Amino acid sequence: MAKAIYEGLKFRYKTTVIHRLDPRVKMLLSIVLFALALLGFNFYQEIITFVLVAVPATLAKSLKRLMRVVALSITFGVFVVAINLLAGGTVVESIVLAVRFLEIVASTSLFFVTTSPDELEYVLRWFRMPRDFVFAFATSIRFVPVLLMDLTQIIDAQKSRGLELDRGGPIKRIRNLVPVLIPLIVNSLVRSGELAEAMESRGYGAVKKPTSMDVLRLKINDWAALSLIIPGGALLIWLYIYVI
Amino acid sequence: MALIEFENVSYKMPNEVLALEKVNLRVDEGELVAIVGGNGAGKTTLLKHMNGLLKPVTGTVRVKGKPTTESSVAELSKQIGLVFQNSDHQLFSESVKEEVAFGLRNFGFPPSEVEERVARALNAFGLGQMSDRAPLTLSGGEKKRLCIALVTAWDPIVLALDEPTVGQDHLNKVRLLELVRRLIRDKRTVLIVSHDLEFLWPLQPRTVVMSGGRIVADGPAASIFTNFELLESSGLRQPQLARLAVALESPSPFRDVDEAVAWLREKNGPWSSGSQTAFGKG
Amino acid sequence: MRLVITRILVISLERVAVEFNDFSFTYAGSTKPAASHVTFTVGEGDVAVLAGLSGSGKSTILRAINGLIPHIYPGEYSGSVKVEGMTVQETPTYELAKKVGFLFQNPENQIFMFTVERDIAFGLENMGYDPKVIREKTDWAMDLLGIRDLAKRSPSELSDGQKQRVAIAGSLVMDPTILVLDEPTSLLDPHTALEVVRLTKELNKRLGLTVILVEHRLELVSTIASKIIVVKDGSIWIQGTPQEVLLSDGLEEVGLSLPPVVEVQRKLGLKSGGIALDVEDFVKEVPRLWR
Repeated sequence: MAKAIYEGLKFRYKTTVIHRLDPRVKMLLSIVLFALALLGFNFYQEIITFVLVAVPATLAKSLKRLMRVVALSITFGVFVVAINLLAGGTVVESIVLAVRFLEIVASTSLFFVTTSPDELEYVLRWFRMPRDFVFAFATSIRFVPVLLMDLTQIIDAQKSRGLELDRGGPIKRIRNLVPVLIPLIVNSLVRSGELAEAMESRGYGAVKKPTSMDVLRLKINDWAALSLIIPGGALLIWLYIYVI
Repeated sequence: MALIEFENVSYKMPNEVLALEKVNLRVDEGELVAIVGGNGAGKTTLLKHMNGLLKPVTGTVRVKGKPTTESSVAELSKQIGLVFQNSDHQLFSESVKEEVAFGLRNFGFPPSEVEERVARALNAFGLGQMSDRAPLTLSGGEKKRLCIALVTAWDPIVLALDEPTVGQDHLNKVRLLELVRRLIRDKRTVLIVSHDLEFLWPLQPRTVVMSGGRIVADGPAASIFTNFELLESSGLRQPQLARLAVALESPSPFRDVDEAVAWLREKNGPWSSGSQTAFGKG
Repeated sequence: MRLVITRILVISLERVAVEFNDFSFTYAGSTKPAASHVTFTVGEGDVAVLAGLSGSGKSTILRAINGLIPHIYPGEYSGSVKVEGMTVQETPTYELAKKVGFLFQNPENQIFMFTVERDIAFGLENMGYDPKVIREKTDWAMDLLGIRDLAKRSPSELSDGQKQRVAIAGSLVMDPTILVLDEPTSLLDPHTALEVVRLTKELNKRLGLTVILVEHRLELVSTIASKIIVVKDGSIWIQGTPQEVLLSDGLEEVGLSLPPVVEVQRKLGLKSGGIALDVEDFVKEVPRLWR
């Protein structure tokens, strides 16, 4: 499950109109869509929000992947419907609520599937986050696939020694995790030690304000996108709140 | 009887890469088989099919005649003992003896037998003195031996080692070689997945060459290891002794240095003392 | 131009790149010294191979070159280590990082960023270079290692050999004069291992880099080495040219495997003079041997 979500959200390098936008513009777009998803309370609003998320996702050739992420969250959606029904909501209300939840997921995912972790790092720097924090954040994302690989290999190794993870009662099952978690932790510690050595060897912390290879600069297509997103977003939010 | 049989096995990774393609392989009782190839040739994927960690997409893998799709990983692992490349991916117990006991308990051996088997396995691998030490404090070579010991403890019908020499220094490799020789003397069926041909050469195993998920050759070491083109195209390097035999046009490959020396002496006559200094750059 | 001239002057005047003088080190919390009374020099442009069993102290010696010892690993330090004239003990690691490129065993753990080019630029960013300079140098390093086409790729998609190249580019981008490699081939298959060894030699030739390399498969490196230093229990057991070292007695005891072709020559009774280090040279010499 975790692996499926990770696969869904993992960035893949593409060169579409959306991918080429400045990451800050993509972030703004995602925030506006997120706000619209949050504000949507009726059927029409849900439809409009859906279209507004689907269009950039299609332009980014990532609609399918986005839908897969959404499909994975459907369980939660069903859960939302159930709770709402139990709490005395009508069927339509409950469905709208669930759709709203899914749209929130979709609008945030849009940012992650179109923005490389690299760009994300630039955005964090642009927000003047402390260098150590940005670096820790970046490496933690960078090492997700590496740790997943470790995890798979550890599970395979222990299964080959007769470990059956999904066997026994709840307590036994938790105990079953020990042979997997200990090697995983030990390996991660070894890795982080080597990582620290490598950072040191590459001059980490040499100057107070490290520079970066690329500087975020808004290009003409970014301005064009902004001129659509800002007034359009403001108008829609106003419409959502006061009109429809 | 064939212990392991691959019949037209193909396997696709989740990312659609074909990791095994139409593999046919048969391993008989008492054989020593080396599976060689560069990194990414599909060797480990092949191993994982043997104890059911992976199930074939097409084709059939049979262990003792029974398709692996009909057994659990645990049932198969009791028969096919896999030793993975990275020891640190396996060791987790407080003590060496607990580490060995883990597998035995999983496979349902009664407590009295567990104790007996632990002691036997540790002594056989020269780890008897360390039974109370924490596995994580062992050296790299000791960890590797422990990982092999803990699998042999349950007496699988096949012992399969994945890249046993990676990260090991020369001394440990020499010990590993001795250990494999002993396993063969004990009539065990042993599979070694490796790209370390220098290590495999003295063992003269039946050698299966993999490349790009396919088996591209299967035969005695003497004929495979002397085939330069085959090895090069499979991401491997000829052992130096095999290269030497080919370069000197020896009719048979040299298994060890002594054979090479004997052959050189025989061919060229006795050594003349005066030529010693004439050698090399001067 | 002036830079080039100074460089040549420096090379011809001070030919020593790395100098260990009676260096001993005991890690904090340990009682046994990891290195004791280590003395050796590596000249500019040399390829020095450090060999010995695991745990013999090779890694400790390497880490004393780029300052991880004593700056990151505290302990009892005596003697001195000089790198390009700088005393390591008194020089911060980021200063040493400009002179010493360091390559670890597992390239996976030294690639931090999400794209190859960003990772290669990492060191330069740390040094606070101007974005334009970073771009230029990064492109130069990628071209040098033939990985320009991988610029936008994510490190997790690369093959082992490619990862090793990225890691090398990431240290060369800082324009170091010394490249230190800690068992760079131990996780690689033989083909890729040979590729890395050849690449190292090429960089040594083309850039005049001083190379210090840990490797116990002498078969793989004896032909490119100008010096072999054998370490045992934290001390230097023997050092010299490959010829000298490979002809010395007792190498098996310190856990070194002689290249089989060298062993053949030794068993034939060759005690003095040069020995052939690889099969091709040996075969060429055979007729002369029995002259």
